[in-house]
Amino acid sequence: MEELVQQLVNGLAVGSIYALIALGYTMVYGVLRLINFAHGDLFTYGAYLGLTLLGSFALQDRLGLAAGLLVLAVMVMGLVAVLGALLERAAYRPLRSSPRLSAVVSALGASIFLQNALMLIYGARYQVYPDILPQTSVEILGLEIPVLRLAVFGVSITMMAVLFLFVQKTRVGTAIRAAAIDQDAARLMGIDVNRVVLLVFVIGPALGGAAGLLVGLYYGQISFTMGWVYGMKAFTAAILGGIGNIPGAMVGGLLLGVVEALGAAYLSHSWKDGIAFFVLILVLIVRPSGLLGERVAEKV
Amino acid sequence: MNRMTRTLAALGLALATVGSARAADTVKVGLMAPITGPWASEGQEMKRNVELLAAEQNAKGGLLGKQVEVIVEDDGGDPRTASLAAQRLTTKGVVAVIGTYGSAVTEASQAIFDEADIVQVANGSTAVRLTEKGLKHFFRTCPRDDEQGRVAAAVIQKAGAKRIALLHDNSAYSKGLADEIHAILKAAKANVVFFDALTPKEQDYSTILTKLKTAGPDIVFFTGYYPEAGLLLKQKRQMGWKVPFVGGDAINNPDLVKIAGKEAAAGFRFLSPPVPKDLDTPEAKAYVAAYQKKFGEAPSSIYGVLAGDGFRVVAKAIEGGGSATAPAIRTYLTTQLKDFPGFTGKISFNGKGDRVGELYRVYQVDAAGGFVLQP
Amino acid sequence: MSRRLAIGYLAVAALLAASPLVLDAYFLDVLNNVGLYVLLALSLNVILGDAGLFNMGQAAFYAVGAYTGAILSTRFQVPILLALPVAGLVAAAFAALVARPVVHLRGDYLLIVTIGVGEIVRILLVNDPWGLTGGANGIFGIARPTLFGWRIRRPHEFLYLIWGFVALTVFLFHRLEQSRFGRALAYLREDAVAAEGSGVNTARYRLLAFALGAGWAGMAGTLYAAKMTIISPESFSFWESVLVFLMVILGGAGSIPGVVVGAALVVVLPELFRGLASARMLVFGLLMMVMMVVRPQGLLPVRARRFRAAASPAPRAGAAEGGP
Repeated sequence: MEELVQQLVNGLAVGSIYALIALGYTMVYGVLRLINFAHGDLFTYGAYLGLTLLGSFALQDRLGLAAGLLVLAVMVMGLVAVLGALLERAAYRPLRSSPRLSAVVSALGASIFLQNALMLIYGARYQVYPDILPQTSVEILGLEIPVLRLAVFGVSITMMAVLFLFVQKTRVGTAIRAAAIDQDAARLMGIDVNRVVLLVFVIGPALGGAAGLLVGLYYGQISFTMGWVYGMKAFTAAILGGIGNIPGAMVGGLLLGVVEALGAAYLSHSWKDGIAFFVLILVLIVRPSGLLGERVAEKV
Repeated sequence: MNRMTRTLAALGLALATVGSARAADTVKVGLMAPITGPWASEGQEMKRNVELLAAEQNAKGGLLGKQVEVIVEDDGGDPRTASLAAQRLTTKGVVAVIGTYGSAVTEASQAIFDEADIVQVANGSTAVRLTEKGLKHFFRTCPRDDEQGRVAAAVIQKAGAKRIALLHDNSAYSKGLADEIHAILKAAKANVVFFDALTPKEQDYSTILTKLKTAGPDIVFFTGYYPEAGLLLKQKRQMGWKVPFVGGDAINNPDLVKIAGKEAAAGFRFLSPPVPKDLDTPEAKAYVAAYQKKFGEAPSSIYGVLAGDGFRVVAKAIEGGGSATAPAIRTYLTTQLKDFPGFTGKISFNGKGDRVGELYRVYQVDAAGGFVLQP
Repeated sequence: MSRRLAIGYLAVAALLAASPLVLDAYFLDVLNNVGLYVLLALSLNVILGDAGLFNMGQAAFYAVGAYTGAILSTRFQVPILLALPVAGLVAAAFAALVARPVVHLRGDYLLIVTIGVGEIVRILLVNDPWGLTGGANGIFGIARPTLFGWRIRRPHEFLYLIWGFVALTVFLFHRLEQSRFGRALAYLREDAVAAEGSGVNTARYRLLAFALGAGWAGMAGTLYAAKMTIISPESFSFWESVLVFLMVILGGAGSIPGVVVGAALVVVLPELFRGLASARMLVFGLLMMVMMVVRPQGLLPVRARRFRAAASPAPRAGAAEGGP
């Protein structure tokens, strides 16, 4: 029983990261019907930029740990957001009216480009975050859970909640939802779809970048290929929850994390990655619109 | 018609850039190494070691009166690239090839060199099956996984463990080693309570650690690579789990301490051939100093030094046998090379091409993060 | 096939046939690699180019064929050339099985599913179910092909075998394009709804396209296994699928000569630029993005078929007002 609860906790913790990244995929797909293959790489950039900024500015020493981390997070999210906007301009906007296959290839090309640029800048070896966070743990329900893990989970959930409120309650958020339902109608309503797209490519990557920073801070070790696996799992999570559906991405992420952890714990661990892909295919066959239903422009 | 012409021109160009200049009068030794790719750091050390030794040899007059030329080909750490690199070397007139690192990569090149009658001395390929195929031209200066398995099993049993967990990462090397250890332990009727793999290149190993913890072992032997080992140590400490972990030789890398953090890594033990700074013969020390002088840092990987030893045995075979041809080198290595004073210890080869003797030692990480050789 | 194309093919064939006289083992081996990739690209072209199905998991079928051939050869001593068609059939059956539940999916979703299938196959291979696949070690000791008692092992011998097979493939696939099957695929690629309405059973044709493409990739896999004599899961990664996908798209989806050229370039260019190893991939990615903007139809795209209309009579004055 204790193992079950522990594995559930493990699953939720990892799942919250998947969920953060999944939000980026789901928003872009909802509005543009495009799988942004490069999104996982933006997540990786978040982790690396965090490392560099941490090293260059030593904010935690200057401002104290909490404030320092906050400023760091804002900087990282901002930089990755800019990167996301550039990506949209360079790789996707010119292909807005082209057949979808072109956009897919371009997305792949962008992913390869970004990944290798990172490798050239930072080198091929693993990079390690400096050990600045306290490694204490608390006891909850008889389990020893590191405080950091709770913090990661808490931060992710908070960011997702903020996003949800933003999309549901603000005018800009409504514009995004409108564009996701029907781009042309939204345009007719006076919504500047180009701006909405830009916004989506700013918010999604910012969240992805934040996830990268969290991963770097918590696990300590980052590599330039980590975007690939996380990206695939996050995309699976987005589909699981219903592509284009923001709460769906959150639910999908957490659920996937838990399914993975339990599957790996009770079946063989070697098949762990296979579980995620299997879930993906199963969902697409049985219920392609996902658990909470998809929200995309132009249903066929 | 433009396109067609273009294609034909491209093919024509390929045909035109044919042929390798046959430089006269040097003894050509090939080096196949992962200069690029996932093991680039190993490959580049291999290159440095061999080129330094070749230069030293040439300063002493070369081999049989001729200068030694080292021809380097990059195998990229990948079997397919390796087979192309091997093909390339066979066209360049080499009499022997040193290399390479990574059993699957070496395997892709074995048949090619054997069919071309070129002697191959591998430095970083420990899979047992490489010398079980009856290939007459294949040798290796590195030990085999079954030797490491024996040492590992001995270490585990010496630690008095009653419940043993074996963890690998499903890669060829790691699973092979884990299988070896498992077989020996089973034959000794030891209680192996856990045998499973983690997925490499991930970061969150809490699931597998929880699973391990539930199995209740009193020692865990991990046969994977250092990045995963570092993360395991770090996360195990976060969980507050104190059971000792022991690792295989793929853990031997200074980054281990960086990833795990000093506190998590302290006390961790692993097996490895001795690292270059611990080589104790006078010639080895002199060589390490010479390397340090030329490149500004000591050699960090033992596999690079093993490549160097590979070159030295080939050089010895050429001089001792009086001939720079593959059959002569081969004969010398199998019949006349006994207890050659290699940097890494005494070298002799058995009939299968394996190095005779025990190379594996136990290392422990101290509180400052240094690797200390255990007696 | 137009006259110009036929002459082009013959010229290439002649050059290839003569190449062992001029090139050394290394370059011949490069050509062999190109040949195998050309086969793969042609096989994917049936699925992606002709039928318009987004498939980024071709490496899975390649692997199934390669491993089937390898297992037949090492465990059952089946000669390679006999194992070849069997491996093709197994890969085709596998594809039909896997594609059946998903063949109706929307383009992007199908893409993701095929990526997933590719990864699952790779994980399967690594985990060595029932001790069949040898896990991460793979399978070694695969026999060389023998033709009437003659063992094929040198690069130039493989050259003839592989490129002979390529020639056969090119010929067959050109015939396929003109056949009923090919026309049905073109129809459902352009407008599936209209095709279905015209009585073309789109699901069935799609499955057949998958099966054919997969089967051919499977046969290429056996050739690969016989050439390398060892195979391991690393050769069948997602990256391989991406490469083949790119060969088809960059060469010109649906165009056989385009795909051949695409395959050749994608293989040869990195070999030429070996020096710039790390920057190589960067340039690759950039190239992909640029190509899609500048020339999305590929290098040698399909030429739309033109029909010469019969000479029409001079328009009569007042003909615009139609009669009954």
